[in-house]
Amino acid sequence: MDIHSLRRRDHRGRTGQGVSSAIHIKLVPLGVDLHVNVHTPLHDILFQHGVEFPCGGKGQCKGCRVRVMEGTLPMSDEERRLLTDEERRAGWRLSCRHTAQTDLTLHVAQWESAILADDSHFTFVPRDGIGIAVDIGSTTLVAQMIELRTGTVRAVNTALNHQARHGADVMSRVGFGVNHAGRRILVDMIRRQILTMIEKFLETSPAARDELTDIVLVGNTVMHHLFCDFDLEPLSRYPFSSPHLDSWEGTPAELGWRIAPHARVRVLPCFGGFVGSDILAGVLATRIHQSEKLICLIDLGTNGEIVIGNQERMRCCSTAAGPAFEGARIKMGMRAATGAISRVRIQDGQLQAHIVGEGSAPRGICGSGLVDAVACALDLGLVHSSGRIPQPPHKLPLIDPVHLTQTDIRELQLAKGAIAAGVRILLHELGASVDDVERVHLAGAFGNYISVASARRIGLLNIPADRIHPAGNTALLGAKVALFTDKESIDDLARRISHVGLSSHPQFQDIYVEEMTFPTSAVYQQS
Amino acid sequence: MDDYKQLYEAILNGNFKIAKEVTQQALDKNADPQMLVQEYMIPAMNEVGRRYEANEYFVPELLIAARAMKASLELIRPLLVQQGAQPAGRVVIGTVKGDLHDIGKNLVAAMLEGSGFEVIDLGVDVSPEKFTTAARDNNASLVAMSALLTTTMGSMKSTIEALKSGGVRDKVKIMIGGAPITQRYADEIGADGYSSNANGAVALARKFVGIQ
Ligand code: B12
Ligand code: FES
Repeated sequence: MDIHSLRRRDHRGRTGQGVSSAIHIKLVPLGVDLHVNVHTPLHDILFQHGVEFPCGGKGQCKGCRVRVMEGTLPMSDEERRLLTDEERRAGWRLSCRHTAQTDLTLHVAQWESAILADDSHFTFVPRDGIGIAVDIGSTTLVAQMIELRTGTVRAVNTALNHQARHGADVMSRVGFGVNHAGRRILVDMIRRQILTMIEKFLETSPAARDELTDIVLVGNTVMHHLFCDFDLEPLSRYPFSSPHLDSWEGTPAELGWRIAPHARVRVLPCFGGFVGSDILAGVLATRIHQSEKLICLIDLGTNGEIVIGNQERMRCCSTAAGPAFEGARIKMGMRAATGAISRVRIQDGQLQAHIVGEGSAPRGICGSGLVDAVACALDLGLVHSSGRIPQPPHKLPLIDPVHLTQTDIRELQLAKGAIAAGVRILLHELGASVDDVERVHLAGAFGNYISVASARRIGLLNIPADRIHPAGNTALLGAKVALFTDKESIDDLARRISHVGLSSHPQFQDIYVEEMTFPTSAVYQQS
Repeated sequence: MDDYKQLYEAILNGNFKIAKEVTQQALDKNADPQMLVQEYMIPAMNEVGRRYEANEYFVPELLIAARAMKASLELIRPLLVQQGAQPAGRVVIGTVKGDLHDIGKNLVAAMLEGSGFEVIDLGVDVSPEKFTTAARDNNASLVAMSALLTTTMGSMKSTIEALKSGGVRDKVKIMIGGAPITQRYADEIGADGYSSNANGAVALARKFVGIQ
């Protein structure tokens, strides 16, 4: 992927716009070689290469650390606080705190040996060979090549899912693929694209050609069906129950891939409805199934999947929140690219917006900005708890020309209400309350960017802040764990998680409507 | 004549208990049920619809207003039937086959009811046959369909075809709605009307039965 065309920008990052001087960056141990503009946040560069930022790039977790092999990076306060003297002297830095200023060679800790980006206790049985883990997202594809003896990540590859041209959300893709011809196109497209990603790995590391033993793929139910070439018709209408939710196992040849004839390809199973193996992988990564206390995993994407459970019982659902958190259906909504408002706070009683790429012209607002803006506006009384903007002309100006309309706030209410209602219903099904939940993992990129305080203020997450943790790409992490986990254990895990269909849930509508409003400040302060 | 402005206010503010109490008191004093509907209930629901359309009210406010309206209407309805009062029109409404989204459909149904229509709600996942039979058996003047999924929009077309082959198409006006629906789609499948919101649905229905 071309780093010059980076779309995602860290909100702290300075822009490299107008500056053409290129900086040379080398990432080891994968041997990635890049030229980037000066001032490009290292976060952006590494993110594009699959590095996770466990605390959301806030300098709180040291999960993103890199060791400077050539060049220099100045010391920040966070590094003084989080790293030991020894680590600092050895050249370790937190990549989320820096921008590219001079040529650099960086050793990325996450590519060293840890399977999970956090300090997890995941233990694996080493064996010979090479494995590849793939997260088939509806928007983005991510693949990692893993050395199975050491658990080391040998290479990372990301690409935009080409299927997106046949529909942005999964439902539109189902619409395109219900008929035979449409399905052929989508199936061929995804298989070809993933093959290309795998071949790219094998090209750079020819030895891997013979050593490749395992490929594990995860994705939501629609991606699962399209990769395995299953009938989409059952997913096009109620009751959305497909007979093909199981795991798929086969050889590369069965997929028309002429690579590693002896390798085993596995697509992990789905749960039901639209909750797929990406969420199953999320459970593996966050180890909900091994926890004594209740753990919650929330994917704040368009389908809004939620799992809550512990070693005894687990429930999941999808809440269909819609794409508001991704900036879609919001008048001036956009992705977190240059010119997007990504943060809003209150200063001297006024809304103060921060734009991605400092100094660039404001163009729109992304999901984290939207949640912040409404949270602050609630505190200032510019938006009522009913969602109403009381003052004519019923708009919320941020930085000219960017503003939120009354309809934008309504969209946010629909989206956040759906997630909050989903959590409440799962807890209800488990006979538990919010207090019983020990930890909440926010999966996905948006989970990394959203401010937990703002999410709480708007009633999206009604859980104490210290229990909420951004968890990065849990689907990919789980796919890697699955490389070391046998089929039986995974199928067993899938069976242990029961799917709660919200459409036919008697209380959904009442709870949803209740959760559509914003907490009043009194209610909020109590919690 | 007594002033039942309180009923109007109770519906507008979604106060279910007061709406019920005021209605009961009025009926105890032999107030004319049709007068209650025409002069208080319908104007209140009109105002609720206007506020919703203007984005002042949202789903929660509209829903609690509808609940208050229904509480009152439940007390009044038996008397209306006794008097042989005619509804503005009879509407058969439902979410189409394959789709279970019903919040929008429920709002439309409530607004129609609060505007003096008799509403036969077939619920969700309603097959073309069920729409056809219900329209025929109830002698409906309107069929209203809701769909929220791009994959179930097609059921609207099949329903219109079923109404045709069932011989009821010419006896009813058909209106459709739901987030993915557009006027263009309505024209394409030969529906008589489309609206993007519940208040617009009432305006359409009124137009179809010839009320201003
Ligand atoms: C709430 C919701 C649900 C709830 C539904 C609960 C219920 N009882 O209705 C639950 C969680 C169960 C659900 C499930 C699903 N959902 Co859903 N859901 C939504 C959500 C968040 C809000 C819909 C809503 O209630 N809006 C509020 C009402 C008031 O608005 P409305 O329905 O548009 O109605 C208004 C107008 O359209 C109009 N109108 C409506 N009907 C009619 C009829 C007539 C005649 C007229 C004139 C006007 C009219 O008037 C209404 C009032 O003004 C939307 C996303 C969004 N932000 O819109 C997704 C959404 C509709 N769902 C979606 C999907 C995919 C699903 C699922 C298939 C997948 C899943 N993840 O589980 C399932 C399938 C359910 C099923 N069996 O049908 C997608 C559809 C995408 C597409 N391209 O088709 C959406 C857009 C979200 C997304 N992923 O992008 N969903
Ligand atoms: S410290 Fe950089 S991501 Fe946590």
